[in-house]
Amino acid sequence: MLASILVLATDAATTATDLLDQAAGDAKTVKNPILPTVNEMFWAAIFFIALWALMKFVLLPRITKVMDGRTDKVRDDLAAADAAEAERVAKLEQYEAGLAGARAEAVAIIEASRAEGDAERRTQIAAAEAEVAAARAEAAAEIADAKARARSELTGSITDIAVGAAEAVIQKPLDRAAQGRIVEDYVNAAGQN
Amino acid sequence: MIFGLEFPPIENLVEWPNLFGPTDSWYGFNKIALINLVALVATAVLFLLAGRRKTLEPVTNAPKGSRNLVESAVGFIRDGIIVETIGPDGLRYLPFLASLFFFILITNIFEVIPFFHMPGNARMAGPAVLALLTWVYFIAVGIKHQGLKYFWNSVAPAGVPKALLPLVVPIELLSTFIVRPFSLAVRLFANMLAGHILLVTFTVLCITLWGASLLLAVLPFSFLMLVGLTGFEIMVAFLQAYIFTILASVYIGSSMHAEH
Repeated sequence: MLASILVLATDAATTATDLLDQAAGDAKTVKNPILPTVNEMFWAAIFFIALWALMKFVLLPRITKVMDGRTDKVRDDLAAADAAEAERVAKLEQYEAGLAGARAEAVAIIEASRAEGDAERRTQIAAAEAEVAAARAEAAAEIADAKARARSELTGSITDIAVGAAEAVIQKPLDRAAQGRIVEDYVNAAGQN
Repeated sequence: MIFGLEFPPIENLVEWPNLFGPTDSWYGFNKIALINLVALVATAVLFLLAGRRKTLEPVTNAPKGSRNLVESAVGFIRDGIIVETIGPDGLRYLPFLASLFFFILITNIFEVIPFFHMPGNARMAGPAVLALLTWVYFIAVGIKHQGLKYFWNSVAPAGVPKALLPLVVPIELLSTFIVRPFSLAVRLFANMLAGHILLVTFTVLCITLWGASLLLAVLPFSFLMLVGLTGFEIMVAFLQAYIFTILASVYIGSSMHAEH
């Protein structure tokens, strides 16, 4: 029994040793696919450093020069636009100030013209009214004269007719002056009525 | 093999035989190296096309075509990354950061380019090199701006009580000089490898379903997922290039000033 166990143990040990040897051999030949390899590192370094050098001395300068030129141009254009905008604002303010002055001046002129016109109108109205009043006074005087003249003529005529008629009736001359006063008083009283 | 789907081993997805040079040699040129070369050439050609005299003049013209593309990208890196993270002082680092952005973006975008279908950064070598160069670069910038005090300023931020320095210094030392390059490399590598494996998974699924009579009904869904993930990978390619570049910019900016 013991001999059998010893034989089994010896076989197991031999098998284990063989397996270990085989595993060690495999480990020596199989590479870990995750670990970096020297040749790939070598070429990656060469090509990257070459790209870096090209980028620094050949490739980037032409691009950045154009980009910087455009940036400068844009900045200058923006500055010019800002200056033009400031100039526009200043001119606008100047124009608005001038416009406000002109407007105030126009208002003043209009007010002065209006005042002058009003004064002129009042003067002319007063003159016209005075002229009308004078004309009216003259006309009234003329009317009064005409009325007096007409009354005088009427009084004379009436006196002549009445005195003539009365003298014809009584067949004797009358005091023409006294009869004339009576007729004149009558005419005046009739005129007042 | 799962449910009749035979998925290729991981090494078949990411390891490529040399196009020239002996196997395991330090200069063996494989598909990944070719992608890196194309990234260099494509970037150079794009910039040269954009920089032609005909397209550059007059300067007041609105940019069009390749010039528009390049100026937009450079403007994005300059104004969206450098000025935002470092400020105008950081514009001198534009060549390095632009190189990082274009190199990573183009090597990533090969994930969805027919006949390549392999992002260059799904191998650890590319991200490791870029992270290592970024690490050297921001340390060099720190020494240039602050002298050798940069190392002490980096691990002992201003305002930290002296009693806490034994705790803070090792943490800062680890996070600034060890974790930064490691996280840069692993983030890029892991994202691109994960995306690559996803696309391979759905491609293999589509191919397998094409020959399976009963499961053919599932094929449209699998194909739609493949198309959707392809679009998603284009976004990831750009996003990872942006993240790597902006983090590099942040690290460089933090090296310039002690108070950061």
